Amino acid sequence: MPLFGKKDKKKENPAQQVKTVLSQNETSYFGKNLIIKGRVSGNGDIIILGGLEGEFDLRGRVKIAQPAKIKGEVKADVISVNGNVEGKLAAKQRLHLDQTARIEGEISTPRLSITEGASFNGEVTMSGRVTKESGAAAVGAKPAHQKEGAPEPRQK
Amino acid sequence: MQKVKTADSTSLVSQNVRIEGEIQGPENLHVEGYIKGAVALSGNIFVGNTGIVEADLEAKSIIIQGEVTGNVKAHQQLEIHPSGKLIGDCTAGSIDIKEGAVFEGRSMMIKKREASAMPHLQTSKGSGKHHQTKEKTKP
Repeated sequence: MPLFGKKDKKKENPAQQVKTVLSQNETSYFGKNLIIKGRVSGNGDIIILGGLEGEFDLRGRVKIAQPAKIKGEVKADVISVNGNVEGKLAAKQRLHLDQTARIEGEISTPRLSITEGASFNGEVTMSGRVTKESGAAAVGAKPAHQKEGAPEPRQK
Repeated sequence: MQKVKTADSTSLVSQNVRIEGEIQGPENLHVEGYIKGAVALSGNIFVGNTGIVEADLEAKSIIIQGEVTGNVKAHQQLEIHPSGKLIGDCTAGSIDIKEGAVFEGRSMMIKKREASAMPHLQTSKGSGKHHQTKEKTKP
Protein backbone atom coordinates (compact mmCIF):
# COMPACT_ATOMS: atom_id res chain seq x y z
CA MET A 1 0.00 0.00 0.00
CA PRO A 2 1.53 3.25 -1.01
CA LEU A 3 1.66 5.99 1.57
CA PHE A 4 -0.13 9.20 0.84
CA GLY A 5 2.98 11.25 1.18
CA LYS A 6 4.77 9.16 -1.31
CA LYS A 7 2.04 9.52 -3.84
CA ASP A 8 2.01 13.29 -3.59
CA LYS A 9 5.69 13.43 -4.13
CA LYS A 10 5.37 11.45 -7.27
CA LYS A 11 2.54 13.53 -8.63
CA GLU A 12 4.58 16.13 -10.41
CA ASN A 13 7.97 15.79 -11.84
CA PRO A 14 9.68 19.04 -10.83
CA ALA A 15 11.75 19.09 -13.97
CA GLN A 16 8.62 19.10 -16.05
CA GLN A 17 7.12 21.93 -14.04
CA VAL A 18 10.15 24.06 -14.64
CA LYS A 19 9.95 23.29 -18.30
CA THR A 20 6.36 24.42 -18.43
CA VAL A 21 7.05 27.66 -16.63
CA LEU A 22 9.80 28.41 -19.07
CA SER A 23 7.74 27.70 -22.07
CA GLN A 24 4.98 30.08 -21.03
CA ASN A 25 6.92 33.03 -22.29
CA GLU A 26 8.79 31.24 -24.94
CA THR A 27 8.56 32.13 -28.55
CA SER A 28 6.30 29.83 -30.46
CA TYR A 29 8.14 28.05 -33.17
CA PHE A 30 6.61 26.43 -36.22
CA GLY A 31 9.22 24.23 -37.82
CA LYS A 32 9.88 23.96 -41.49
CA ASN A 33 7.96 20.74 -41.92
CA LEU A 34 4.81 21.97 -40.27
CA ILE A 35 1.87 22.93 -42.41
CA ILE A 36 -0.92 24.88 -40.79
CA LYS A 37 -4.22 25.59 -42.41
CA GLY A 38 -6.43 27.91 -40.46
CA ARG A 39 -6.10 30.69 -38.02
CA VAL A 40 -3.37 31.44 -35.54
CA SER A 41 -4.08 34.02 -32.88
CA GLY A 42 -3.02 35.11 -29.44
CA ASN A 43 -0.25 36.93 -27.66
CA GLY A 44 3.41 36.30 -27.97
CA ASP A 45 6.16 36.00 -30.46
CA ILE A 46 6.22 33.51 -33.28
CA ILE A 47 8.91 32.26 -35.59
CA ILE A 48 7.57 30.42 -38.58
CA LEU A 49 9.61 28.32 -40.96
CA GLY A 50 6.87 26.15 -42.33
CA GLY A 51 3.74 26.70 -44.34
CA LEU A 52 0.67 28.60 -43.33
CA GLU A 53 -2.50 28.94 -45.27
CA GLY A 54 -4.85 31.23 -43.50
CA GLU A 55 -4.56 33.99 -41.02
CA PHE A 56 -2.16 35.17 -38.36
CA ASP A 57 -3.65 37.57 -35.89
CA LEU A 58 -1.16 38.20 -33.20
CA ARG A 59 -0.16 40.67 -30.56
CA GLY A 60 3.55 40.29 -30.61
CA ARG A 61 6.35 39.82 -33.06
CA VAL A 62 6.19 37.54 -36.03
CA LYS A 63 9.23 36.41 -37.85
CA ILE A 64 8.67 34.72 -41.16
CA ALA A 65 11.94 32.92 -41.74
CA GLN A 66 13.41 31.67 -44.98
CA PRO A 67 11.75 28.42 -45.96
CA ALA A 68 8.36 29.66 -44.82
CA LYS A 69 5.52 29.97 -47.28
CA ILE A 70 2.50 31.93 -46.26
CA LYS A 71 -0.71 32.39 -48.11
CA GLY A 72 -3.14 34.68 -46.45
CA GLU A 73 -3.11 37.48 -43.99
CA VAL A 74 -0.61 38.30 -41.29
CA LYS A 75 -1.41 40.84 -38.61
CA ALA A 76 0.99 41.54 -35.77
CA ASP A 77 2.76 44.29 -33.89
CA VAL A 78 6.09 43.73 -35.52
CA ILE A 79 6.66 41.65 -38.63
CA SER A 80 9.98 40.61 -40.05
CA VAL A 81 10.06 38.67 -43.28
CA ASN A 82 12.71 36.45 -44.81
CA GLY A 83 10.38 33.99 -46.46
CA ASN A 84 7.60 33.97 -49.01
CA VAL A 85 4.30 35.66 -48.47
CA GLU A 86 1.34 35.85 -50.74
CA GLY A 87 -1.34 38.05 -49.30
CA LYS A 88 -1.64 40.83 -46.80
CA LEU A 89 0.84 41.93 -44.20
CA ALA A 90 -0.33 44.36 -41.58
CA ALA A 91 2.02 45.52 -38.83
CA LYS A 92 0.89 47.81 -36.06
CA GLN A 93 4.37 49.02 -35.27
CA ARG A 94 6.88 48.16 -37.91
CA LEU A 95 7.67 45.83 -40.73
CA HIS A 96 10.95 44.71 -42.14
CA LEU A 97 11.61 42.86 -45.36
CA ASP A 98 14.97 41.16 -45.39
CA GLN A 99 17.15 40.16 -48.34
CA THR A 100 15.50 36.87 -49.04
CA ALA A 101 11.91 38.03 -48.60
CA ARG A 102 9.50 37.54 -51.45
CA ILE A 103 6.21 39.29 -51.06
CA GLU A 104 3.25 39.42 -53.31
CA GLY A 105 0.41 41.46 -52.00
CA GLU A 106 -0.41 44.32 -49.74
CA ILE A 107 1.55 45.79 -46.89
CA SER A 108 0.29 48.20 -44.32
CA THR A 109 2.52 49.53 -41.60
CA PRO A 110 3.50 52.83 -39.98
CA ARG A 111 7.23 52.09 -40.34
CA LEU A 112 8.76 50.10 -43.14
CA SER A 113 12.25 48.94 -44.00
CA ILE A 114 13.32 46.87 -46.96
CA THR A 115 16.76 45.40 -47.39
CA GLU A 116 18.38 45.24 -50.80
CA GLY A 117 17.60 41.94 -52.40
CA ALA A 118 14.06 41.66 -51.15
CA SER A 119 11.39 41.15 -53.74
CA PHE A 120 8.12 42.91 -53.32
CA ASN A 121 5.27 43.07 -55.77
CA GLY A 122 2.33 44.93 -54.46
CA GLU A 123 1.07 47.91 -52.65
CA VAL A 124 2.09 49.70 -49.49
CA THR A 125 -0.16 51.68 -47.24
CA MET A 126 1.64 53.61 -44.58
CA SER A 127 -0.93 54.36 -41.99
CA GLY A 128 -0.30 57.95 -40.97
CA ARG A 129 -1.45 57.45 -37.46
CA VAL A 130 1.75 56.44 -35.79
CA THR A 131 -0.01 56.09 -32.50
CA LYS A 132 1.40 56.51 -29.03
CA GLU A 133 1.44 52.77 -28.86
CA SER A 134 3.79 52.37 -31.75
CA GLY A 135 5.94 55.32 -30.70
CA ALA A 136 6.38 53.94 -27.22
CA ALA A 137 6.96 50.50 -28.52
CA ALA A 138 9.59 51.69 -30.93
CA VAL A 139 11.53 53.11 -28.02
CA GLY A 140 11.07 50.09 -25.84
CA ALA A 141 11.54 47.64 -28.63
CA LYS A 142 14.59 45.55 -29.20
CA PRO A 143 17.72 47.53 -29.92
CA ALA A 144 16.67 48.66 -33.34
CA HIS A 145 16.60 46.58 -36.43
CA GLN A 146 19.44 44.55 -37.59
CA LYS A 147 21.62 46.70 -39.71
CA GLU A 148 20.49 46.85 -43.23
CA GLY A 149 22.01 44.12 -45.30
CA ALA A 150 23.05 42.03 -42.34
CA PRO A 151 20.93 38.92 -42.39
CA GLU A 152 19.37 37.99 -39.10
CA PRO A 153 21.39 35.53 -37.08
CA ARG A 154 18.64 33.02 -36.50
CA GLN A 155 18.71 31.97 -40.13
CA LYS A 156 19.07 28.35 -41.17
CA MET B 1 18.46 21.84 -45.27
CA GLN B 2 17.37 18.74 -47.03
CA LYS B 3 14.01 17.20 -46.50
CA VAL B 4 14.06 14.39 -43.99
CA LYS B 5 11.28 11.93 -43.49
CA THR B 6 11.63 11.58 -39.78
CA ALA B 7 10.68 14.47 -37.59
CA ASP B 8 13.86 16.22 -36.63
CA SER B 9 12.53 19.46 -35.28
CA THR B 10 10.01 20.31 -32.64
CA SER B 11 7.50 23.04 -33.10
CA LEU B 12 6.19 24.87 -30.08
CA VAL B 13 2.79 26.42 -29.57
CA SER B 14 3.28 28.51 -26.47
CA GLN B 15 0.73 29.29 -23.85
CA ASN B 16 -0.95 32.38 -25.23
CA VAL B 17 -1.19 31.17 -28.77
CA ARG B 18 -4.29 29.68 -30.37
CA ILE B 19 -4.42 27.72 -33.58
CA GLU B 20 -7.70 26.92 -35.20
CA GLY B 21 -7.43 24.66 -38.19
CA GLU B 22 -5.42 21.81 -39.54
CA ILE B 23 -1.84 21.04 -38.71
CA GLN B 24 0.20 18.45 -40.51
CA GLY B 25 3.70 17.45 -41.53
CA PRO B 26 6.70 15.48 -40.35
CA GLU B 27 7.33 17.39 -37.14
CA ASN B 28 7.21 17.01 -33.42
CA LEU B 29 4.77 19.31 -31.74
CA HIS B 30 4.82 20.67 -28.22
CA VAL B 31 1.57 22.31 -27.22
CA GLU B 32 1.27 24.67 -24.28
CA GLY B 33 -1.38 26.78 -25.92
CA TYR B 34 -4.71 26.02 -27.52
CA ILE B 35 -5.39 24.02 -30.64
CA LYS B 36 -8.71 23.39 -32.26
CA GLY B 37 -9.21 21.35 -35.40
CA ALA B 38 -7.09 18.45 -36.48
CA VAL B 39 -3.46 17.53 -36.06
CA ALA B 40 -1.80 14.80 -38.09
CA LEU B 41 1.94 14.49 -37.73
CA SER B 42 4.46 11.75 -38.34
CA GLY B 43 6.41 12.89 -35.30
CA ASN B 44 5.39 13.02 -31.68
CA ILE B 45 2.88 15.23 -29.96
CA PHE B 46 3.42 16.49 -26.44
CA VAL B 47 0.57 18.31 -24.80
CA GLY B 48 2.05 20.15 -21.84
CA ASN B 49 0.41 21.13 -18.58
CA THR B 50 -1.11 24.30 -19.94
CA GLY B 51 -1.99 22.80 -23.28
CA ILE B 52 -5.61 22.52 -24.29
CA VAL B 53 -6.44 20.61 -27.42
CA GLU B 54 -9.87 20.25 -28.94
CA ALA B 55 -8.86 18.30 -31.95
CA ASP B 56 -8.33 14.88 -33.38
CA LEU B 57 -4.71 13.94 -32.99
CA GLU B 58 -2.65 11.51 -34.97
CA ALA B 59 1.05 10.96 -34.41
CA LYS B 60 3.74 8.43 -33.72
CA SER B 61 3.64 8.87 -29.97
CA ILE B 62 1.45 11.15 -27.93
CA ILE B 63 2.08 12.37 -24.41
CA ILE B 64 -0.71 14.17 -22.60
CA GLN B 65 -0.16 16.33 -19.55
CA GLY B 66 -2.84 18.85 -20.36
CA GLU B 67 -6.34 18.48 -21.67
CA VAL B 68 -7.32 16.77 -24.86
CA THR B 69 -10.85 16.52 -26.20
CA GLY B 70 -11.07 14.51 -29.37
CA ASN B 71 -10.05 11.24 -30.86
CA VAL B 72 -6.45 10.30 -30.52
CA LYS B 73 -4.41 7.92 -32.59
CA ALA B 74 -0.87 7.07 -31.59
CA HIS B 75 0.86 4.61 -33.88
CA GLN B 76 3.31 3.72 -31.17
CA GLN B 77 2.50 4.90 -27.69
CA LEU B 78 -0.05 6.98 -25.90
CA GLU B 79 0.90 8.29 -22.50
CA ILE B 80 -1.43 10.13 -20.16
CA HIS B 81 0.27 11.70 -17.19
CA PRO B 82 -1.39 12.30 -13.80
CA SER B 83 -2.24 15.86 -14.75
CA GLY B 84 -3.52 14.75 -18.14
CA LYS B 85 -7.06 14.48 -19.31
CA LEU B 86 -8.34 12.73 -22.40
CA ILE B 87 -11.97 12.91 -23.39
CA GLY B 88 -12.40 10.88 -26.53
CA ASP B 89 -11.52 7.59 -28.09
CA CYS B 90 -7.98 6.46 -28.37
CA THR B 91 -6.24 4.10 -30.74
CA ALA B 92 -2.70 3.19 -29.88
CA GLY B 93 0.01 0.62 -30.22
CA SER B 94 0.45 0.70 -26.48
CA ILE B 95 -1.02 2.83 -23.76
CA ASP B 96 0.38 4.06 -20.51
CA ILE B 97 -2.10 5.79 -18.25
CA LYS B 98 -0.69 7.04 -14.98
CA GLU B 99 -2.62 7.07 -11.75
CA GLY B 100 -4.59 10.28 -11.46
CA ALA B 101 -5.06 10.71 -15.17
CA VAL B 102 -8.55 11.18 -16.56
CA PHE B 103 -9.67 9.16 -19.55
CA GLU B 104 -13.21 8.97 -20.79
CA GLY B 105 -13.77 7.11 -23.98
CA ARG B 106 -13.08 3.93 -25.84
CA SER B 107 -9.73 2.41 -26.36
CA MET B 108 -8.54 0.31 -29.24
CA MET B 109 -5.17 -1.25 -29.66
CA ILE B 110 -3.24 -1.42 -32.88
CA LYS B 111 -1.93 -4.90 -33.33
CA LYS B 112 1.54 -4.95 -34.67
CA ARG B 113 1.27 -7.98 -36.90
CA GLU B 114 -2.17 -9.36 -37.20
CA ALA B 115 -4.04 -6.12 -37.59
CA SER B 116 -5.27 -7.11 -41.01
CA ALA B 117 -5.33 -10.86 -40.41
CA MET B 118 -7.73 -10.59 -37.50
CA PRO B 119 -10.02 -7.75 -38.23
CA HIS B 120 -12.45 -8.77 -35.49
CA LEU B 121 -9.99 -7.45 -32.95
CA GLN B 122 -10.56 -3.97 -34.16
CA THR B 123 -14.18 -4.10 -33.20
CA SER B 124 -13.57 -4.78 -29.52
CA LYS B 125 -14.89 -2.00 -27.41
CA GLY B 126 -14.13 -0.90 -23.91
CA SER B 127 -17.05 0.92 -22.38
CA GLY B 128 -15.62 3.66 -20.28
CA LYS B 129 -12.63 1.69 -19.16
CA HIS B 130 -9.45 1.38 -21.04
CA HIS B 131 -7.91 -1.88 -22.05
CA GLN B 132 -4.73 -3.00 -20.53
CA THR B 133 -1.70 -2.61 -22.63
CA LYS B 134 -1.21 -6.30 -22.67
CA GLU B 135 -4.59 -7.10 -24.13
CA LYS B 136 -4.43 -10.45 -25.82
CA THR B 137 -6.77 -12.77 -27.58
CA LYS B 138 -7.59 -16.21 -26.40
CA PRO B 139 -5.13 -18.79 -27.56
